Amino acid sequence: MIRSSEELQRNSQQTDGNNPPSTLLLLAGVLALVFIALPIFYLFRLAIRSDGQTLSLLIFRAKTAEVIFTTISLATLVSLFATVFGVMLAWTLHNVKIPYSNLFRALVMIPIAIPSYIYAYCWLSLETLPRGYFSALIVLTLATTPYIILATFSAFARIDLAQLEIAQTLGNNPIQLFARIIFPQIKNTVLAGSLLIVLYVFSDFGAVSLLGVDTLTRAIQNTYQGSYDRSSAAVLAIILLLLSAVVIVRENLWRNESYQAKASTSITKAGKKYAEGKVRVLALTLIVGYILIALVLPMSLLVQRFFARERELDLYNIFNVTSSTILVSALGAVLAIAIAIPLALLTLTGSRLGKIAEWGVLIVHALPGIVMGLALVAFGSKFPFIYQTLMLLAIAYSILFLARSVGFISVSISRVPMNLVEISSTLGKNKRETFFRVILPLALPGILSGALLVFLSAMRELPATLMLRPTGFETLATEIWSSANIFRFSEAAPYALLLVIFSAIPAFLISRPDRRNSERGEIS
Amino acid sequence: MTTPKNLTTRVRHLGAVIAAALLFLGALTSCAATPEAEESTSPITLYSGRSEELIAPFIEAFSAETGFEVETRYGDSAALAAQLLEEGANSPADLFLSQDAGALGALSAAGLLTPLAEETLTQTPKEFISQAEDWVGITGRARVFAYSPLRVSSLPGTVADLVRPEWKGRVGIAPTNSSFQTFVTAMIQSQGELATEKWLKAIIKNEPKFYEKNSLIVEAIDSGEIDAGLVNHYYLWEVESELGREIKVQNHFFTAGDIGNLLNVSGAGILKTSKNQNRAKRFIQFLLSKEIQEKFVSDTHEFSLKYPEFSPEGVPPLSAIGAPNVNLSELSELQRSQKLLLKVGLL
Repeated sequence: MIRSSEELQRNSQQTDGNNPPSTLLLLAGVLALVFIALPIFYLFRLAIRSDGQTLSLLIFRAKTAEVIFTTISLATLVSLFATVFGVMLAWTLHNVKIPYSNLFRALVMIPIAIPSYIYAYCWLSLETLPRGYFSALIVLTLATTPYIILATFSAFARIDLAQLEIAQTLGNNPIQLFARIIFPQIKNTVLAGSLLIVLYVFSDFGAVSLLGVDTLTRAIQNTYQGSYDRSSAAVLAIILLLLSAVVIVRENLWRNESYQAKASTSITKAGKKYAEGKVRVLALTLIVGYILIALVLPMSLLVQRFFARERELDLYNIFNVTSSTILVSALGAVLAIAIAIPLALLTLTGSRLGKIAEWGVLIVHALPGIVMGLALVAFGSKFPFIYQTLMLLAIAYSILFLARSVGFISVSISRVPMNLVEISSTLGKNKRETFFRVILPLALPGILSGALLVFLSAMRELPATLMLRPTGFETLATEIWSSANIFRFSEAAPYALLLVIFSAIPAFLISRPDRRNSERGEIS
Repeated sequence: MTTPKNLTTRVRHLGAVIAAALLFLGALTSCAATPEAEESTSPITLYSGRSEELIAPFIEAFSAETGFEVETRYGDSAALAAQLLEEGANSPADLFLSQDAGALGALSAAGLLTPLAEETLTQTPKEFISQAEDWVGITGRARVFAYSPLRVSSLPGTVADLVRPEWKGRVGIAPTNSSFQTFVTAMIQSQGELATEKWLKAIIKNEPKFYEKNSLIVEAIDSGEIDAGLVNHYYLWEVESELGREIKVQNHFFTAGDIGNLLNVSGAGILKTSKNQNRAKRFIQFLLSKEIQEKFVSDTHEFSLKYPEFSPEGVPPLSAIGAPNVNLSELSELQRSQKLLLKVGLL
């Protein structure tokens, strides 16, 4: 059984060493690169137009350094806290025997459905809470923790249980087990999740603007909206891109340094769960605490707002907007996996093009929606046949959120047992048949999870949607914006609730536990 | 190794993939294209910086009256202006409705707007029409000093008073909001860049609290976070109606002629590239009609520029607010105020 893409690469190089990626895959890689390069190219074009004086005023001043520092420190701390907290929650859910564990597994994932701006709004509506850096730190940590839980779950599913069992038998306590056996094996996957969170914070606008924290993204938005100055905004966006490139390279080095688990070939017994009373109480407190703060509290505030509305529900509009949102987000998700699958296959062949494209995917993930909107307006307005169409909007979604699905998809494809692939080719099936009849069906759950993550990210996207949607086309996010913008939060509540409900469904689907987990014994 | 046969299949596959992709693209774009394109009369494409909540009923009334369809793109005024500037001659928009004179001025300066017809311009006072006569003010909105009557006893006479120590840490401003930036532009215009820079620096020294929007300032005054703030006059009612209760905030106008009482306008202009000029003109005239102007005043508490006799409730009439004498069509020079705000660190 193959554990990681690095291993699959090694493996495939061993089995048929001189097998370059097919033309089709290379073409797909080039296509993906073109997609990614599109916004970056237009960003540079916009930046070139900027006048030198404003530019030097913008870049070489204390405030910009301060903003960059705030961006880096906020992203690092949120990522750190969310990682620690998320791994703790996932470990607890995975290893402690608690009642209704499947229900709790789903519930801790649902906050992934709540956009940061809804958290920030709820934070503010509690009235006694201050705005500012620490509030943003808490809000963003709550909003991003589920991404780590998700990554950790998927890493747990691939842990070498034989090692774990041996270590348990040798009397290692849970902390020793975690540090010696579990952590080295989940490190890579969790780190990839932490990286996505850094990029999430880099590009977040909702929470930082409502809570008044000056990050680069907020500065970009203010520059753009304040003065119609597209080029200064583009210059700031390029600074943000460089910053994320540094983070991505740094993370990559870490990953390569880290210990590669050599997994045993078969899994016969599953590890056992902790069932001791004290541990269970502690575990339940942690899990229920998170669910209360990150899910029950914001939902009850939204429900309260819902009933405080003054107006009748416009059911026709609600239906329209909801179906529009689902349609365009699904389109974005389909497009994203259509790019991500060949990209994952390409990366697994060890091709350099694949690696470059993968980095590109991560770099553009740090682009705030407004920058993507700006770049695609600059591009699209020259091509009226695509400008302000659903297609362009779906393209924007797929580029913005590709990074959230690509990890899932490469991991699930790399987990397809190599021997099955080999058997298939021994039986005379060509690569295409092998892909459609062996790889795709086996990797399907992972691919679907990747698609669902893009789908729910696209559903809540606002700045790019405002700029790129067809005129007259509204999504749940634009409806929330248009009510909240004129301070009618209660009128926004039905749309906010629908947004959370419709993204909670994919979140729930993603969270479904694998069968192995429910078949495990217990330690008392 | 690639055999010739393999190669041809590959090429075939490639062709199939490209064809499928093109079909997909074509199907989608044709879905998104407006079905009305075949009719001789296409709908008006309106970019509206004014909210859907406020403007949608007016649009419906307009369509009912004239039979003209309107497709509206809602957004932030400044963001829509930036989008129009980027779209340039390729813009699908016919008409731009803005919350703020500055955004219209930027389009006018870029030469994107077309001169308005005589009948649109008549009756609206000259000071609310751009010099190029390519946009017209629809409603007026005054800058005010909003304060808590519970915690503020002596009111400032001018915005210059706000730099005094007694206001330290008590005042809220929204430097990233276009309403504040337009105010700064007006200050530069009337007092010069140096004086404005000096005032901004002094204000910053006095530790104001920063907010994203005017409405958040008004709410913060009500909740006791701050005691006063610089906002537009109608936010009082907007916040009250959202919270569903009376708030403990009042408006105060500075001494007559003070720049703190700046009268900004929401307005409209027609894009030069519009192929729907006549219909767009009809829409502006509709917004300037007596009936709609009266409704604006009662719904939003804004001032009617054309019919000053409709005075919003709870606000002094337009002639009595003591608005400074400012040339609104020069308010587009945001670059200058932007640079200044960058320089002093407010952006």
